[in-house]
Amino acid sequence: MYEASDSSLMRAVREGDLGALAILFERHHRPLFNYFVHMNGNRELSEDLVQDVFVRMLKYRQSYQPERAFAAWMYQIARNAQSDSIGKRKFEVALPDREFASVNVMEENLKRKQEISILKRAMARLPVEKRELLVLSRFQNLKYDEIASILGCDVGAVKVRVYRAVRALGEIYFELSGERAS
Amino acid sequence: MNCEQARTQFVDYWRGTLEDSRAEFDAHLAACERCRAEAEDLRDMWSALGTLPEEDPSLRLRARFYDSLRQWRQRETRPALWWLRHPAFQTAAAMLILAAGIGTGYMLRGREMSEVSQLRGEVDNMRQLVALSLLQQQGASDRLRGVSYAYRVEPDDSQVLSALLATVDHDSNVDVRLAAVDALKKFTNNPVGRNGLAQALSKQDSPLVQIAILDEIVEVHDRSAAPSIQALVSSTDVNPEVKQHAQWALRQLQ
Repeated sequence: MYEASDSSLMRAVREGDLGALAILFERHHRPLFNYFVHMNGNRELSEDLVQDVFVRMLKYRQSYQPERAFAAWMYQIARNAQSDSIGKRKFEVALPDREFASVNVMEENLKRKQEISILKRAMARLPVEKRELLVLSRFQNLKYDEIASILGCDVGAVKVRVYRAVRALGEIYFELSGERAS
Repeated sequence: MNCEQARTQFVDYWRGTLEDSRAEFDAHLAACERCRAEAEDLRDMWSALGTLPEEDPSLRLRARFYDSLRQWRQRETRPALWWLRHPAFQTAAAMLILAAGIGTGYMLRGREMSEVSQLRGEVDNMRQLVALSLLQQQGASDRLRGVSYAYRVEPDDSQVLSALLATVDHDSNVDVRLAAVDALKKFTNNPVGRNGLAQALSKQDSPLVQIAILDEIVEVHDRSAAPSIQALVSSTDVNPEVKQHAQWALRQLQ
């Protein structure tokens, strides 16, 4: 009973067992929330968007194809929700260039604290397309082919883009930390 | 392999998913100092990125999700009459009932009561859903939360009962198993619950959990569990303290 896969659960939802969505919610709402926070820097908006994604899953459940990875489908919905929210609000969502207030780094040592703060600032300065690639590949641990299916491009292009995003982040990161070796 | 090809493999290299081209990649890195330096610089940042603390959403998010799920389910089960359950309608209905006053109160009372009990049934149903969903999560803290939701379902809820018994039998985490044993107290009036608890005794490898189960059996004075306890006493590979406790339990049940 611990092993129902995401796609079998979503298939059950599609076939009318809406309760199965609760298991998917418990599995995915936190990473999804973090995806949105990285994308827009706004916790409240991000919660609205997570809610929106799960409601869209119910609404469009007939469009789910079990042969497709559930995460890819979910992040595609998430991207649509995110871009609709930008359209509605009529402004570009930009990450604040500061540390998130809720992160408790009190107990961490100073070096680690600085590293986190620099990484976050570097992430926030990264153009949104690059940031998204890093969030999907690093934080959400999605495979290249899953990212390719979310972005609607081929795997080769994703590889190159992820590398360029890592490199761009590296440049900002080393500039901020002033410790670039070469 | 040239520099550009090698660099697009960096992420695979860090993730350990570089398979086919591993030898070529290694050869390039061994020969090219720039790529080697870049791979090293960026690798530290890549791994630091993986340790960024995650943000937690507020508790409100869960409540909102379960609330809308409940509304969807109602709409699906009674498509023609879903508006009956709509909060706006219910508020209006409640006000009407109020306005109708005591005169018609007696007449309406029966219906009102049945609506209330229907709503109560729905709340129970959602609790069951939350409990069952959380009990299937990978994180032990989520499963613990699932157990705490199990306390809030009706004692005749057989689905939650069997999920709890499965948790006691199979959960990898001792704390979760212990919490599930405690939660089963609620179900000890149910023969399935009593029987399940006695059966669980032999499947445990944790003395803590075994002792908790023994205590619970004694507490509800379940004599039918005596054979299972006897089996534990006669078993050779049982912790001596557990064995002693089992003998004590047998005496209590006499």
